[in-house]
Amino acid sequence: MKKTLILLAASTAFTASVGLPARSATPKSLDSGASVVIAAPFKDAGGAPAIVLASDDKDHGWFRRLFDREDDDDDDDDGCDDDKRHGDDDDNCRGSARNPTPAGTVAPPKNGLFGTGTPPTVQVN
Amino acid sequence: MKSVLATLALTTALTLPGLAMARPVTLTAQLNNYGGDGAYLALYVTDPQGAYVGSLWMAGGKSKYYKHLTDWYRFTGGDTAQINGITGASVGAGRSLKISLDLADALFDAGYTLHIDAAVENMRESPNEIAVPLTTAGAGAAVSGRRYISNFTYDM
Repeated sequence: MKKTLILLAASTAFTASVGLPARSATPKSLDSGASVVIAAPFKDAGGAPAIVLASDDKDHGWFRRLFDREDDDDDDDDGCDDDKRHGDDDDNCRGSARNPTPAGTVAPPKNGLFGTGTPPTVQVN
Repeated sequence: MKSVLATLALTTALTLPGLAMARPVTLTAQLNNYGGDGAYLALYVTDPQGAYVGSLWMAGGKSKYYKHLTDWYRFTGGDTAQINGITGASVGAGRSLKISLDLADALFDAGYTLHIDAAVENMRESPNEIAVPLTTAGAGAAVSGRRYISNFTYDM
């Protein structure tokens, strides 16, 4: 019986230590006076509640957001490096909305120049 | 049997004019040893009034560099829809680019001009590096470029 009580107490303590900070991050808990102290680390300097997401498609998770402020990534989501710091100058940057579709994957444009609509073939020597 | 032959004759009659409206052309550009990275080349055609008609080929796949192909960019605003399906890799110094395609017959001896704009990273831009009238008489004649292209020919 004693053993069961000890286990119950330990699991309750563990749940409280993990669960309370997580709950405090929600807007509802920020509004309540009781959890303001626990929620304080999640507020920004202006006092507005900081929205903390587990993940989104722009950043790299909330640990990164909270503790790694230096953002040197190319975040335009096109899969391309926009500068030369990474040293690549190949033409492998495909599939982006901004770059044209490579030859062989779609038909040439219907601009009236290609008589039969046959795609050009290219050879570089 | 008769109906099959009639159908065959009809489809042949319909197909032949289409084939006659295009002619196979080979465009060849030999690049100089200019000592830089791969050259971006835009090949496009203008009409007798100098208005842009369309693009034939884009050598170089990153659109962020297209503004350096200044004349092509001025005509198109960098619209990549103009070159979807006709874009390949940039061309290295000293290499030759050979493009085989079927060009519309109406482009020849009608005042149309084939242009090539060239650009190389960290080097000078070269709009209108090549400008050659599309004529049957001019086929096979080498034309010199201004900076990056040693010579250019179109053969039919």
